[in-house]
Amino acid sequence: MLVSLNWLREFVPYEGDIQVLGDKLTMLGLELEGIEDPFENVQDIVVGHVVECESHPEAEKLSVCTVDVGDAETVTIVCGAPNVAKGQNVPVAKVGTVMPEGMKIKKAKLRGIKSFGMICSESELGFSDDHDGIWVLDPAFKVGDKLVDALNLERTVFDFDITPNRADCLSILGFARETALAFDLPLTMPKLNLIESGGNAADDLKILIDDPELCPLYNGRILRGVETKKAPDWMRFKLMALGQRPISNIVDCTNYIMFELGQPLHAFDLDLIEDATIRVAPATDGMKFTTLDAVERTLTANDLLIWDGKKPVALAGVMGGINSEMHAGSTNVLLEAAVFRPGTIRKTARRLSLPSDASYRFERGVDQVMNRFAMDRAAQLMAETSGGTVVSGVSSNEPKPWQDRAHGYRHDRCMSLLGLDLEPDFAKKVFEGEGCTVDDSDPANWTVSSPSYRLDLEREVDLYEEVGRVFGLDQIPAVLPKVSKSLNTSVAAETQYGFIKGIKAWGAGAGLNEAINYSFVGDDDLDRLNLPAEGRVHIANPLSADQNVLRTDIAPGLLNTLKNNLAQGNNHVRIFEVANKFIADAESETETSEHSRLGILLFGPRHATEWPWAAGEADFLDIKGHVEHLVENQLKLAAPDFALTEDHAYLEPCVEVKIGDDIIGIMGKVKEDIADFYHAKKDVWLADLDLDVLRAMTTAHAIKFAPLPIFPPSRRDVTVIGPATLQAQAIRDAIQNAGIKILESVELVAEFVPENQEEGKEERNLSFRLTYRHATKTLKDKQVDKEHKKVLAALEQNLPIRF
Amino acid sequence: MSNELKSFLEGLDSLAHDCESRKGQACSLNELDELRIEFLGRKGKLAQSMGALGKLDNTDKPAAGKKANEIKQSITALIDSWQAELNAAESGKAMSQFDPTMPGRKPWAGSLHPVTLVMDEVCDVLTGLGFEHAAGPEVENDWHNFEALNIPPEHPARDMQDTLYVSEKIVLRTHTSGMQIRSMLKQEPPLAVIAPGKVYRRDSDLTHTPMFHQIEGLLVDKNVSMGDLRGTLTVFVRQVFGPKTEVRFRPSFFPFTEPSAEVDISCVMCGGKGTSDGKTCRICKGTGWVEILGCGMVDPNVFKSVGYDPEVYTGFAFGLGIERIAMLKYGIGDLRMFFENDVRFLEQFA
Repeated sequence: MLVSLNWLREFVPYEGDIQVLGDKLTMLGLELEGIEDPFENVQDIVVGHVVECESHPEAEKLSVCTVDVGDAETVTIVCGAPNVAKGQNVPVAKVGTVMPEGMKIKKAKLRGIKSFGMICSESELGFSDDHDGIWVLDPAFKVGDKLVDALNLERTVFDFDITPNRADCLSILGFARETALAFDLPLTMPKLNLIESGGNAADDLKILIDDPELCPLYNGRILRGVETKKAPDWMRFKLMALGQRPISNIVDCTNYIMFELGQPLHAFDLDLIEDATIRVAPATDGMKFTTLDAVERTLTANDLLIWDGKKPVALAGVMGGINSEMHAGSTNVLLEAAVFRPGTIRKTARRLSLPSDASYRFERGVDQVMNRFAMDRAAQLMAETSGGTVVSGVSSNEPKPWQDRAHGYRHDRCMSLLGLDLEPDFAKKVFEGEGCTVDDSDPANWTVSSPSYRLDLEREVDLYEEVGRVFGLDQIPAVLPKVSKSLNTSVAAETQYGFIKGIKAWGAGAGLNEAINYSFVGDDDLDRLNLPAEGRVHIANPLSADQNVLRTDIAPGLLNTLKNNLAQGNNHVRIFEVANKFIADAESETETSEHSRLGILLFGPRHATEWPWAAGEADFLDIKGHVEHLVENQLKLAAPDFALTEDHAYLEPCVEVKIGDDIIGIMGKVKEDIADFYHAKKDVWLADLDLDVLRAMTTAHAIKFAPLPIFPPSRRDVTVIGPATLQAQAIRDAIQNAGIKILESVELVAEFVPENQEEGKEERNLSFRLTYRHATKTLKDKQVDKEHKKVLAALEQNLPIRF
Repeated sequence: MSNELKSFLEGLDSLAHDCESRKGQACSLNELDELRIEFLGRKGKLAQSMGALGKLDNTDKPAAGKKANEIKQSITALIDSWQAELNAAESGKAMSQFDPTMPGRKPWAGSLHPVTLVMDEVCDVLTGLGFEHAAGPEVENDWHNFEALNIPPEHPARDMQDTLYVSEKIVLRTHTSGMQIRSMLKQEPPLAVIAPGKVYRRDSDLTHTPMFHQIEGLLVDKNVSMGDLRGTLTVFVRQVFGPKTEVRFRPSFFPFTEPSAEVDISCVMCGGKGTSDGKTCRICKGTGWVEILGCGMVDPNVFKSVGYDPEVYTGFAFGLGIERIAMLKYGIGDLRMFFENDVRFLEQFA
């Protein structure tokens, strides 16, 4: 909301510092965003006087002017405008001036004559679309003055951010009220000087309202004999200061009143209104209506229309119709001042993407009591600026008159909520200063009636806010609360946050960088990984096609991160991410089930590339090691089982990770054709673990201390030579299933693959170290040898191996 | 003294002189070992001299044996001292070649995302004050995200947040405030919860990303006041930004709180002066203040929607944006960097 300082001063005599005003209003809840000079872009234009004006000897359309710009010497300016003449006062851009459009004025030579500046038209200075010629200024202006000073233009405009509850501050008047409150200054309303000239508007126009809820009030005034033309300079300049483009006197008057008093108005060409009737009634589904921007709109039964006796003429509160708008030849005006149901206006404006200054105010609520004054003041200004006359009386329909609202107010409770201890008189002064009436005959429970312009004062608690706001929320003493808790809820399992915090700490400790990706990707990202189309949760109004669906898998985000890094030349990527994946779920109240996942991606060297680390690219054993370390060492769960699975969507090899019957995740290498898309020229190793399952397991798992062994171990090594297709786990299982009670542990200590093996008969050697130990005595070699032989026998019996 | 004895003793003395005269000849531990064997070995010079012991009179033997022992000790001591010198020289040489500036075999450094760092820090402060963690879904229904928070359909407050919709009644949560509702529905007061998480808005430009993180805080009990809210937030702000940070409460509007406030802190860049290096501070744009969160006293309508009696209970709620705080705390200028996950960015946060 832009607020012009001088316009504000018409209502309230604030003469203090502008920054103090902005700060004070900020601390009242009207946040100052900035203070601007709306005419900064023409600040270097000066008033010049055309001393001589002669035709250019070489070009009859050009004039050579000698212009006094207030400097010691006159300047010569070659001007192409037909209306330039000796004796005029004109706006001049001297050499070096930057024009509003950004052009810098330089010395120039036109057909052999040097020109030192430019005489400007209104359009060149952004004051109108008038291209007809240079702007001829008031002869009374002092030569050499800045144009902005000569025209007395506004130089100070505040930009405030208005919260949706403060509809009353969408006008100069609203800010004047707050300024008066803040600085204890008197508020002066403009004097109404409306001259009515006979007839009776009520006879000329009948107003019908179908539903009082949708339109509690509709007032109309009629003006006759108006001339549509440019509004007077003072009005145009004030509107321009607020960033408005002047249009015509009639339209500008409606805007002027809207910005000044907050009541949006609309001017119809009365001669285009049929049957002398205005009817406020909803549209019907599918009907078409062309608004004054010449766009045909398709309406619904939720849109409210203004109709005449035959046709719709305006989209209520949003935009007029092209069939009834004021045009150059219009002479008779119907001025509309109405109140509409905020939600209805909002819905229509949003659905049609037609936000306007009018709809913005209607959807936040306008002051129904101010309506008549605003309309009358607008009619007065229209008559004064158009030469028209105002028909006597008002055509009015107010099926739902404004009701004053009274609220209880308990000062003690207010003080308790705010944490303050103020005299009741302070509250009373605040309420009365805001235009409320206070009945404090019951000291414990007052009755406070709020004014029609403070629609936000609906309840007792709203009054508390006013007391706090005016006293200063910043002045409330800060104390720390006593947080009381129930005994039962204070003993609780680790929270999800705590669990995830532990996972993240592990990831960082394991040398991974935590990434955070958007929860949404594009369908393309999921399709590329061959992920199913079923179960995707789509965003109905995505910002872009590459953000139109929630991740059904953690991988797409991680792979995009890899791609971003490779594009930056980061060829060493070791990242993890904890995030939800989202699957459509008709059973859920949110239509979606969310699953917490941990994704790990390894790409590039296994270690730092710096000495003394050995070179080597991350491989399956690296990703597997991370998974094992997390599950066994961080979460203290049982060692998982790893089984190759086939036909995974995007991993090959793909290994399923299980603890017992529960799948806790998968890991593997991203298929090469997919990795290519992400510009990964090396293997991409990825793990995707189910944190919901892991958390449940961790919660159920209790660490149990095992006494340390007392007696020494005995170790035996065995090297098993078997087919290359035989998995290590099978050998391990065979050893452990041999039923040897004193076998404590089995470790793989070496792998050897002989070179130059015969095709189809490839073998490998795996060496295991077996540790034997008895709980209650020292083992003798003989006994260990005997048990170890049993292991070897079991291996030979159960597996195609030799030693 | 017999001549035999005399000659025996002289032989021992000359052996000792012989050994002393070899000083400096053994330049390495190996050479020294050879020297030691030459004199003290089983067939060494001392042993050879001792061969004559048997031929002496029995009366001479004690004196001869004593002398032989002395000579053996003195030769041993001499060679030991040479060995110590050689050892010291070897060790000095080894130390002179020991290079402590070679790179260490340091474990790989991982890192937490700055959002996680700030979130943990804020949560730690608040759990320290007695708040407990709560969680809720990221895909939320309209009721929890809007209506129960006193934001009915058609309310202009819905314009304050551009929403990403899944369907007409299902949204990506636009704030963590919906978790207030879920927490209150689960539990009767007293209640003190914090709910951190991802939130979503249909907004993407220099200062907005469509996903970001918030932490919601909620305290409901009898007699909770705005003073309690100010205290809680002041502690949090000073913990995160330093004990000298000033906190400013500015009236504002949120549908789910009444009264509502926005909280500014004294600018972390210019210390609240508004200028830095003589120029207008780019962080606070010269105001000396930066906005970091919104808060207020829970609106009675919110209590009604979860079945709490607003005449009995009062409460406060606040919501803060994590990225905003991380940007201020770490001096990160570009919001989008948070989600590009460039490892050179990530590695800067240990």
